[in-house]
Amino acid sequence: MSECIVVTSGKGGVGKTTTSANLGVALALLGKKVVVVDADIGLRNLDVILGLENRIVYDLVHVVEGECRLKQALIRDKRADGLFLLPAAQTRDKNAVTPDQMRELVGRLKENHDIILVDCPAGIEQGFKNAVAGADRAVIVTTPEVSAIRDADRIIGMVEAAELPEPRLIINRFRPKMVEAGDMMNKEDILEILAIPLLGVVPDHEDIIVSANRGIPVVFDENSIVGEAFRRVARRIAGETDVPELEFDQDNGMWSTLMRWMGLGPAREVAR
Amino acid sequence: MKEIINRFLGRGAQASKEDAKQRLKFLLIHDQVDLTPGQLDQMKTEILEVIARYVEVEADENSEFKLEKGEDHVALVSSIPVRRVVQRAKAS
Ligand SMILES: Nc1ncnc2c1ncn2[C@@H]1O[C@H](COP(=O)(O)OP(=O)(O)OP(=O)(O)O)[C@@H](O)[C@H]1O
Ligand SMILES: [Mg+2]
Repeated sequence: MSECIVVTSGKGGVGKTTTSANLGVALALLGKKVVVVDADIGLRNLDVILGLENRIVYDLVHVVEGECRLKQALIRDKRADGLFLLPAAQTRDKNAVTPDQMRELVGRLKENHDIILVDCPAGIEQGFKNAVAGADRAVIVTTPEVSAIRDADRIIGMVEAAELPEPRLIINRFRPKMVEAGDMMNKEDILEILAIPLLGVVPDHEDIIVSANRGIPVVFDENSIVGEAFRRVARRIAGETDVPELEFDQDNGMWSTLMRWMGLGPAREVAR
Repeated sequence: MKEIINRFLGRGAQASKEDAKQRLKFLLIHDQVDLTPGQLDQMKTEILEVIARYVEVEADENSEFKLEKGEDHVALVSSIPVRRVVQRAKAS
């Protein structure tokens, strides 16, 4: 059975696109046939995060308007077997597509793929309605900040109003050191407020910036702690039930201590 | 690990910020040029028409037009297989 999952947040800039790209790759590496759909029409980004920007000819709007076949617009990621991107149009606006068209499009994508991941634009208007239209369920991304959590709560309500089943949460940009110092809400605090199941916690990490620079999603890096966080979320989405929680203060091994002592902060400094 | 050692020895892969810069230059030009697939096709046809006045070229399938990034520039690159030069009379 194919499933369409929308990645949404309400508040902008909390990590929806980063999450969509990394989960797309991670799910494909688990053997799933995946399409990531960039529903942020007019501000496309997912192609750049995935490093596939050079290969775009046709986009989602071309498909919807019948200017090309669906297959022509799907970009195959050669680095991850089974992964495809359906890019957004860069020069159109959100109203170029209707919820009905999105529903139809997702239906067609399901014929050949196991998981359709839709990267939702920020906000609660047309773009959100389009992104949610074809979805079977939602993943809510938030950061441990008051404004992001407040918007997440609003979006959870809207997802429920759209009659999708219970959404699941990803807490992104988590900073263990700040939590330890009592300056950032911890997992329990956030879950108490939002009261939805947790898919995983993703640390705030510089690997994300380097990977965005390069167009190589961080899950390709087996040694990256953020990559590992996304891989575990992907396993949970794929249905694994006994994926252990990620420990964030595991970087005290002899090697990293030595490196730190030499003034060579490890490439995967875990907590800041 | 290799990366750390490379950094230590001051060699290795180019800094990721250089990747970022190059990709961006290309992206911005791409966004500004903003040709639809239809326009791109039209441009190909027209360029081929002009070239065909001077040299005999191979038709569609083997000719290629795309934006390509060099070290510090972006170029519209076309590759059009030529059969032979057309007689002068026709050209002028
Ligand atoms: N775990 C992380 N660690 C460090 N930086 C992160 C992390 N997650 C996201 N970022 C950074 O946050 C910024 C926003 O991320 P992203 O574009 O994925 O958010 P978004 O929710 O898709 O934004 P928008 O609402 O504009 O579509 C980016 O600069 C990204 O590199
Ligand atoms: Mg985004």
